[in-house]
Amino acid sequence: MTDLGFIALVLAFVISLYGIAVSLIGARRNLPELVASGRNAIYVVSGLVAIAALLMWRALLTSEFQLEFVYSHTERNLPTLYKFSALWGGQAGSLLFWTLLACILATSATWFFRQQQPSQKPYINSVLLLYIGFFLSLLLFAENPFSRLWRSATGEVITGVFPPTGATAIVPSDGQGLNPQLQNYWMVLHPIGLYLGFVGMTVPFAFAVAALITGQLGNAWIKMIRKWTLVPWLFLSIGILLGSQWAYIELGWGGYWAWDPVENASFLPWLTGTAFIHSIMIQERRGMLKVWNMVLIWLTWELTLIGTFLTRSGVVQSVHSFALSAVGPMFAAFIIATMLGFLALLIWRLPLLKSENQLDAVLSRETSFLTQNVVFVVIMAATFLGTIFPSISELVMGDKVSLNAPYFNRVNGPIFLALLVLMGAAPLLAWRRSAPETLRKNFLAPIIAALVSVPLLFALGNRSVAGFVGIAALFFVFAGIVQEYVRGVRARRQATHETLPVALANLVRRNGRRYGGYIVHVSILLIALGIIGNEFYQSEGQANLAPGESVTVANYTLTYRTLDAVRGPNYTEFRAVMDVARNGRPLGQIIPTKNVYNKNSEQPMTEVGLRPGPIEDVYVVLAGFDNMGATASFKVYVNPLMSWMWAGSLLLIVGVLVSAWPRRSPATAEAARRVPSGAQPIA
Amino acid sequence: MRSRLLLHVVILAVFGLLMTTSAALAQTPTPNEINDVARELWCPLCNGVRLDNCDLQACIQMREVISEKLTEGESKGQIKAYFVAQYGDVVLGQPSGEGFNLIAWVFPILAAVIGLGWLAYLVLTWRKRQVAPVSAGPDAPADATQPAADDDYLRRVERDLKQRD
Repeated sequence: MTDLGFIALVLAFVISLYGIAVSLIGARRNLPELVASGRNAIYVVSGLVAIAALLMWRALLTSEFQLEFVYSHTERNLPTLYKFSALWGGQAGSLLFWTLLACILATSATWFFRQQQPSQKPYINSVLLLYIGFFLSLLLFAENPFSRLWRSATGEVITGVFPPTGATAIVPSDGQGLNPQLQNYWMVLHPIGLYLGFVGMTVPFAFAVAALITGQLGNAWIKMIRKWTLVPWLFLSIGILLGSQWAYIELGWGGYWAWDPVENASFLPWLTGTAFIHSIMIQERRGMLKVWNMVLIWLTWELTLIGTFLTRSGVVQSVHSFALSAVGPMFAAFIIATMLGFLALLIWRLPLLKSENQLDAVLSRETSFLTQNVVFVVIMAATFLGTIFPSISELVMGDKVSLNAPYFNRVNGPIFLALLVLMGAAPLLAWRRSAPETLRKNFLAPIIAALVSVPLLFALGNRSVAGFVGIAALFFVFAGIVQEYVRGVRARRQATHETLPVALANLVRRNGRRYGGYIVHVSILLIALGIIGNEFYQSEGQANLAPGESVTVANYTLTYRTLDAVRGPNYTEFRAVMDVARNGRPLGQIIPTKNVYNKNSEQPMTEVGLRPGPIEDVYVVLAGFDNMGATASFKVYVNPLMSWMWAGSLLLIVGVLVSAWPRRSPATAEAARRVPSGAQPIA
Repeated sequence: MRSRLLLHVVILAVFGLLMTTSAALAQTPTPNEINDVARELWCPLCNGVRLDNCDLQACIQMREVISEKLTEGESKGQIKAYFVAQYGDVVLGQPSGEGFNLIAWVFPILAAVIGLGWLAYLVLTWRKRQVAPVSAGPDAPADATQPAADDDYLRRVERDLKQRD
């Protein structure tokens, strides 16, 4: 059956090439049949890739260890959920999963836009098929998930789809197991979010390419892809936040983000994607920044590929990296080719990308958006350089330097602060020009709020200057958003005499884009609050304890009681039971564990004991133990405000949904009202 | 006689103080004291793992060295300098500000200067080219002409309601 998976991939690759060819020929010669055939190729390719993915899942779930991928990433006792998620636990499988998601997205976009932009469609289809075809080529020529294990005539174990001459098939009785770090719920979800974010950016990129080729460079393509950018951006955000949650509870160092190259690789397109989401508003409203928007979506898409290239080629070292493989050169070639191709298109179309308006004033929303865009790109550039600098340094100087959190925090910390302030200031500025009176009126309350926060924090015992500055910035932004809501609701109530809840609900419902955007901003504030709490107010301590002994960190006293060994399906769990008390008041128990996996006994995994709370988390790591718990070493962290980071993550989803929720335009609603009930459209 | 007794008492007191101090100095540092130094150092072998969190044998030995050096009375700065001499800047998690590594520090500043310079150029040239006031679109009120933000909101909400209801 698994051979069928390989055949499906071969057919999908051939049909994707066919689809690209007929789409381009159809567009060139104006042959709608060929264009339609190109569109149908997307559906067929997607179906074939789905078959291959389903067969791979079947192989993983039924432990078909003759397949090298199944053998290397699963074992018989692996829980079913992790057998399922093992698909994205290794290089070849994750590329197949990536291709599947790209196909689902391409099919959805093709169906969704079936009635729109007929002249651009063949080019959009070509770009989508080119992207899918590239990933299929990786699967066929570099990392085939359907490769089998063979024993050559000389007794050597080799892999390949087809048996080499004289080789016999090997069917191992059990597999090598999944990397223990990936046997975690958050790790099941985190890659899905990231991949959906990465592949999702292909849709707006395809529209940008099509707009450049056809020369239809008005606002139509921007309007169509706004939601198709917002949704992948949301997935990318969720993916990043799920990864942070995984790092927080699995890596056991009290933090959530280490500026690891792979983390950075996901963060780079998020930065430019966020800039793009904001700057398209200026093009929509003022017809400005057309070149800039093209550059931003191009950068975002290329960065999703560059990030993947860095992760999978071995160019940078990371705890997350996949093994060295042949995908690196293919990725590099594809990235260079698409960069040059897009650049050529952009230069060709520059005369058509002239701005329709100019900036009227320095103090305007356009300028603040533009400044914020520049700041996003500067952070991206600094993070990118920091990520690849060890490799550059090794290449040039022969000496690998290491750039870790101290570097990134020092470089990016002040820029993030500027970004936060701009996030608060931009909505307070009017489009085109802000009059001094308006400035005074809009900025007064947020500035007062920021100033009030300083003595408030001082009274609460804060002495960290960075904490003062960060929290004052949060107060400034939050007060600005509250002020926007208050004014909107007040204006609505004056006009309609609605009750407060109804006015608020209608305000958000009728202008979801604006007020949903503000909800997203509040979610970013909550995430920033968690970051500030963890960075500037964390307390920690370490102690070696015998049963009955205690360690005190901040206001918490933890008393070690027992160490129990519990057998799991494919691991043994060592659970250290501790009593927790705050200022002498018992709060219950906390159980940090060490899991020793049957297949990876040399790599015990930390599962932190966590007691989350709105004010602070108590976070305990079982660092080690002797004589079955006669003494045990514990690391204890008290992490203030971390729960707000996860609350912010949920609010982010709400905000994007409110902002992107489909709603009828006034014109559509009016048209619907005028059509008599029961009327049929003319065929 | 009395002064000799006093001298003996003083000598004993000084000796006792020295003994107590040296005993205190010779005490093994606590895990927290070791972590206070290890927290500012990075594993030279792993990527992005702080020394106080790394389980590699090499890092366990590095923490033992920290313990020994603290026992010998060395300061945090001296211990860090020792590890830099042993392993290079890699243990600090950030490059030195010298030679080729200076690029890592200068580049972000340069990127910010170029970005903001481009922005300033854009704003100035666009403002110069502006010859006539641009008519305000339905979504782009020229705020300078509006008396107050509240009124502006009210007008927009009313217009919105008229359009939609």
